[in-house]
Parts: sequence; C-alpha cells; structure tokens
Amino acid sequence: MWLELLLASVLGLVIYWFVSRDKEETLPLEDGWWGPGSKPSTREDESIRPFKVETSDEEIKDLHHRIDGFRASPPLEGSRFHYGFNSSYLKKVVSYWRNEFDWRKQVEILNQYPHFKTKIEGLDIHFIHVKPPQLPSGRTPKPLLMVHGWPGSFYEFYKIIPLLTDPKAHGLSDQHVFEVICPSIPGYGFSEASSKKGFNTVATARIFYKLMLRLGFQKFYIQGGDWGSLICTNMAQMVPNHVKGLHLNMAFISRSLYTLTPLLGPHFGRFLGYTERDIELLYPFKEKVFHSIMRESGYLHIQATKPDTVGCALNDSPVGLAAYILEKFSTWTKSEYRDLEDGGLERKFSLEDLLTNIMIYWTTGTIVSSQRFYKENMGQGIMVHRHEGMKVFVPTGYSAFPSELLHAPEKWVKVKYPKLISYSYMERGGHFAAFEEPKLLAQDIRKFVSLAELK
Amino acid sequence: MWLELLLASVLGLVIYWFVSRDKEETLPLEDGWWGPGSKPSTREDESIRPFKVETSDEEIKDLHHRIDGFRASPPLEGSRFHYGFNSSYLKKVVSYWRNEFDWRKQVEILNQYPHFKTKIEGLDIHFIHVKPPQLPSGRTPKPLLMVHGWPGSFYEFYKIIPLLTDPKAHGLSDQHVFEVICPSIPGYGFSEASSKKGFNTVATARIFYKLMSRLGFQKFYIQGGDWGSLICTNMAQMVPNHVKGLHLNVAFITKNIYSMTPLLGPRFGRFLGYTERDIELLYPFKEKVFHSIMRESGYLHIQATKPDTVGCALNDSPVGLAAYILEKFSTWTKSEYRDLEDGGLERKFSLEDLLTNIMIYWTTGTIVSSQRFYKENMGQGIMVHRHEGMKVFVPTGYAAFPSELLHAPEKWVKVKYPKLISYSYMERGGHFAAFEEPKLLAQDIRKFVSLAERQ
Repeated sequence: MWLELLLASVLGLVIYWFVSRDKEETLPLEDGWWGPGSKPSTREDESIRPFKVETSDEEIKDLHHRIDGFRASPPLEGSRFHYGFNSSYLKKVVSYWRNEFDWRKQVEILNQYPHFKTKIEGLDIHFIHVKPPQLPSGRTPKPLLMVHGWPGSFYEFYKIIPLLTDPKAHGLSDQHVFEVICPSIPGYGFSEASSKKGFNTVATARIFYKLMLRLGFQKFYIQGGDWGSLICTNMAQMVPNHVKGLHLNMAFISRSLYTLTPLLGPHFGRFLGYTERDIELLYPFKEKVFHSIMRESGYLHIQATKPDTVGCALNDSPVGLAAYILEKFSTWTKSEYRDLEDGGLERKFSLEDLLTNIMIYWTTGTIVSSQRFYKENMGQGIMVHRHEGMKVFVPTGYSAFPSELLHAPEKWVKVKYPKLISYSYMERGGHFAAFEEPKLLAQDIRKFVSLAELK
Repeated sequence: MWLELLLASVLGLVIYWFVSRDKEETLPLEDGWWGPGSKPSTREDESIRPFKVETSDEEIKDLHHRIDGFRASPPLEGSRFHYGFNSSYLKKVVSYWRNEFDWRKQVEILNQYPHFKTKIEGLDIHFIHVKPPQLPSGRTPKPLLMVHGWPGSFYEFYKIIPLLTDPKAHGLSDQHVFEVICPSIPGYGFSEASSKKGFNTVATARIFYKLMSRLGFQKFYIQGGDWGSLICTNMAQMVPNHVKGLHLNVAFITKNIYSMTPLLGPRFGRFLGYTERDIELLYPFKEKVFHSIMRESGYLHIQATKPDTVGCALNDSPVGLAAYILEKFSTWTKSEYRDLEDGGLERKFSLEDLLTNIMIYWTTGTIVSSQRFYKENMGQGIMVHRHEGMKVFVPTGYAAFPSELLHAPEKWVKVKYPKLISYSYMERGGHFAAFEEPKLLAQDIRKFVSLAERQ
C-alpha cells in the first residue's frame, strides 16, 4: 500500500510539473492608491488634460546662481574617469551650462510634441502622445508605448519618435507607422511621485496599462530599456492579451541557471549554445561580468538602501546632480570611456540634449523619488517578487547593443521570454539606445513588428 | 632517488610552514610623495607650525545662504529612517543650524586644544597635541596617538581627551596620564589631501609614524576605530618595536575562516568558543550580519568605486552633506534608530557637536578626498593588500561595543591579533565610541594599558 501511495504521489508531482511548466500564468492585476493622505471617497477625475512645460526667470536665475556658487574638488592626477566624473571636465560642462545653454529654447523643443496629464491611482501621470503627421489612406497607426528608465526620461525618445511616426520623411518605408506614447514613470519628471511606500514596477505597469485603456487602445506594442524593460515586462505578464508585442533593449534575467554557465569557460560556451559574438561580449568573464557589475553598481546599492540620504544633496546642487547623472551617460554608453579625460560624453550626445534631461530632474525636483524606485524594487533583495520567477508569453523582440552594461545572450533571454521571435546583435551602441542610436533601434523595432504581425 | 627527493621536499615544506607560522613578519616601510606635481629637489620643511582654526563673515554668510536655498523632498508616509535620512526631521536640524548654531563659538571650542601642521611626504599634516595640565612629579606622560575615521574627525576625541590627559580632575586615578596626539587623516579636515592616486591606510600609517618620530616619541600607544583601526593596525605591522600597545574599537577581519563558522548556527557556536554574548550579538545571523551589511554598505560601495561622482553634490550642498553624514551618526550608533522619526540622533549627541563635525568637512571642502580613501583601500577588492593577510604582533586591546555595525568575537580578533591581552564587552555604545561613550572607552584604554605595562 505504501508503495502505491508513493508511486501515486510521484506521478502526481510529475503531472503537476508538466502542467505548470506550460501553464502561462499571468501576474494578478490588483489595484493601488498612491496619493497623499487617505484615498478620497469621490470618484477619481479621469480627464486627460493638455500640459505644457514652462519655465520662469526665477527658475533660470536660481539655477545660474547655484552654478556660480559651485565648489569643485580638483581630480587626482591622471585619474580621468576612474574615480567617477572628472571635475576638470565638469568645469567645461558647467561653463557651457551657465553661458550657452538656453533653457527657454529647450522648453520649446520639449513642447514640440503634445503633452498631457491624467490622474490614475491617485497620481498625476504625465505623457507625450505623438500621432503620425501623414498616413496612407485607410491605414490606422500602430500604438506603441515606450518607457524610459533611470537616469533618463521621456526626452530620450525625442529623436526616435519621428522615425516611428513619420518613417517616409526619414528614408524608411511606411510599412509600419506608429503613434507613440511616452509616459513619465511616477516620481520621474512631470509625473507625480507616490506618497506611499511600495510603489514599484508592477504598480507602474498597471498604471501605464490603465493609461493605454483610457486612451482607447485595446491592443498595443510596448518598448523599453532599463526600468522601462522591467515595467513593460510586467505589463506583458499582467495583461498579455493586450500586448501585441514586447520589444526590449535590456533584460533583467535574475532566475536563470544559464547565467552561471559562462563560468564554465569560453570553450564550453560553444557547446552550451553561445555564439561567437556572445563569447566575445562575455569573456573574459571575471572582467566583463563580475568586475564590471561590482564597479558600476555602487549607485544601485545606495539607491536601493538609502535613497533619501544620497538624493538630498542631489536635489540641492544642480552641478552635483549633473555629475551624478552624466557619469552614467558616459560609462553606460561605453565602458572604455572611463579612460578618457572627458569621459567621451560628447562623442555620442550633445551637451544640449544631456542637460535638457538633467533639467527635467532639476526643475521638477524628482531625483529623490526617482531613486526610491530602486529601494521599492530591489530593496528586499533579488527573487522576492513574484514576477521575477514568472516567464513572459507575448511575442518578444530583443536588441542586444554591444556596449550595454551586461550582454544577454539569446539563450538567456529565451528562458524568461519563450516567445522570443527576434534577437539582434546591434552594430553599435550602449545602454541609452533610443537616445544614442535612434535609427538602429527604430529599424529593429520595425523588424520585430514585421515578425510579430506574421504570427 | 625520487622518493628521497620527494621526502626532502615535503620535509622542507613542513619546516618552512612551521618557521613562517611563527615568523612575525612586518609590513615594509617604503616611502611616498603625495603633493601636487613633481617632488621638489629641495629638502622638505620639517618644522612644526602652530595652527588655529579660523572663520570669516563670508564663510558664515555663504553657509546661511545655501541653507536658505535648500530644496527638500517630502518623505514617504511612515518611512521614518528606513529610506535614509528623514527630510522632515532634517528640516529641524537645518532650522537649528541656521538660527541657533554659532560657528564662531564652535571655532573657539575647536581651538581650546593646541593645533599644529607639519609637512610629511609632501602633505601638510594637521594634528592636535594635548599635554597633561598637571602631573605627579617625576612622572612622564604616556604618548597616545588616536586616529579617527569616516565620517568623523579629530573632533570626536574632544570629550575623551581630558579623561586621558587629566584623569584626576574627572574622577579617575592618575595611574595613567597620557599626552594625546590626534592627527587628521590626509584628505580629511585640515590635513592636506593627496594629489596622487594610491594614498591608502598604509601610507597614512607611515606618515603618522613619521609624525610621532618628529614629535620625539620612540615608543607610544595607538588607538583607533573605523579607518583609525586599520591605520593603527598598519602602524603596528610596520613598526611594531615602536608600538607599546594597540587599542581598537573596530576590527577589520578579512582573512579568517572563523568568520564563516557562525553559519553553522548558534548551537555549534558554543562548541567553537563563542560566548553567550557573542551568540546574542551575532544571531539571527542572516539578519544581524548578512542583511545588516548589505543594507548599510551602499555608501561604501559607491565611495569605493565613484567617489568623485557622489562627492560632487556633497561638496556643494551643506544640507545634503549633513544628511549624508548624520545618517551614519544615527544608524551606526544604534541600528534600531531607523525605526524612529528623528533617527534617535539627539539621544546620544548634541546637534552642536554633530554640526561642528560637519562644518569641519564643509569649511575645508574635504568630503570628496575623504571618500576617495575608500577607493584607494577597497577599490581593487578584498584581500589584495599585503597587510590584510598579515597578523599583528604587538600587545592589543579590544573594546567590543554592543551596537557596533558588526560584532567581532574574541575568537576572531585573536586570529589577526595573537597578542590580544584585553577583550571587553562594553556596556553600551556604537560605532562612534569616543564621541558617544568617552568615559567607557577611556576606562577600557586605561585597563588595557595596565595589562600592557605588566608584559
């Protein structure tokens, strides 16, 4: 009898394992309220209000005043960017910012696209919504939600948007014409910050899903890197029936035995399904993966534990804020830029664009709330959130940019995203893909959408 | 023949092992030069010049102006000190700082002890030198070097100094009367910062040894916590014949299999030689050791990798600097203070004292150089420096304060410091021992010196 029971249990477990392996579980939708104080009993105002970015003489004067009062510390001799942002080069950035940067002009540039705000779960959500200026008759644009990360903003998408909404005017075919929605993550820029603890990527994903519904979209494409990648992943896990396709330029692969396999060395790598290119980008493993992560994750560690402490000075010193953020635009674009006196910052970006992004954090005072996002998502450790253990079952496309912080081989991505239909080794580019290589990213998004539509 | 060769090799290795086991190796003395540009050919000026801390209306006005312009971010509801320094409480600190704190008065308090500067290895080294006001005839005071850490300063010793130099006036016997020397680590406060890369605890130890020699001391006691503990340890490893005794309140135990043993659980702990008190302070291990370290080492991670980045804003925003530093005076004094709305900051310290320490960093603009020390010492990883693998062979005393960040049982301390002659479980107190519990620390130093003199 005991033997029968044992066999039955084993059989039951085996059946359960087979069933759950293919079970496409979704992340529960749930709900939330993040405004200050208690949730009002009145129904939330669901109107979508036009919004314009504004500035004032006072704001610019205060900025100039703080820049003039900046106290620099001379860098160590020959340190280049190995101790962080080099303060000799910072002085040049500051001089440009004080004497040439025109914030009023940049505000007009920001306003070139239509901005809106709408209240969801107690927070005023900011977004831009760009429709195609021209469309072949009878065609409807494909809705595409693009989500930024840290320390970026919706502004990172300003150069890629025309390639997606108006391809014909930019040398691309009109096979795919999108209308693009770029929201700001709550606590970043013009989106209201949460007053409550616990506001993480899952809450953001749900809010952005509600936004798309409110805009009248039932099915849509979503794209993201950095936090955007995780938020879009959560959306796909939460409401897969609404997501036509998910495109990412970064992957958070926490639960995967595959990520340990490169430790076996490059020779075994080929047997395990890694390509030549994978091996090129992952080896020497100790340097390219381990040292790189340790060296570049200090900001993540302090933001995931004491965001209010580190953010305090950053919200009070615009130059300090600029150094903190621009260090990422240097090192995450290409790790080797640390060897340059100027961090190679202006090789891929203009100071004008970089400072516009900084000004979004500065004028809205959102650096602290943006950093709290790290604690809300990672502060309890890895593998504590349900979504980290769940796969994603929507058509997925992945662009692997060569200078991304950590290369994710196709083998790894496919474990989390079994419906991976497009994987591309991009020619060049780093972490801020849309900002740095808008054309390459746009082309890969379009390639992915072609494949997704074939399904 | 091969068998004879093999046996000879084995025997040789065994003999070598026995010999090196007892070999009391010292850290090589070497030399260095850390000033700006090339080392001049002229002989270095070895004079000891009196120094006075000064301020000006301009300095105070600039501080007030920056405090008035401070931009706070409201804390998350109910977050207390779990996200870092609570900005609601910070407003109270700032109000005191702006309206009640008297920097001119504090400068006079700083000048109550004699200050000096002297050039060593290209850097202007600041120190205070306090001699006993009264001494029984025929007696000479015992020289005691006390070294601070981060984010502290020589000012931490101001309350303990009288207990050591003038015990009789403070209810202690005159069995031990010290003359106390408290230098500032180069790059901290009034000691000139290195212009060259590579300035670490070993260089600091050598410079402080040269300082003691220059002051005419051939044999002396040394005491330290935080970086001071490591610097004094390096001194004892470098010039053991000059160190009469080494007293510590923090231990850096890196190369030690013992530190893994608590993982076996509290019951095995007793068999391994841990006391009841050790077990009380180390368990539950996951929370008290692992989580605690992860949660509190964000600052260390970013400072050991990108000090110039994080320090930039801190040197430009006095309130930001205060939040960053005072968070440590709260959490490192007692971990449970994170549950309090005000971080328990004023339970053990006065705002006047805390802000005087902050002002030392602010008025000298040394926050960035102070943070670089982390990269120079830890930036290449653990167990890369020779001294980390070496033991210490001078009489050692250890004061284990219960709220220290990580408790070090006697078993662990004795591995690195085999000549440990005094180990005390202190009644109360945390990381900033001299600042928080000057009397308890003074008593333990005296207890240790009694034991050291008997050797």
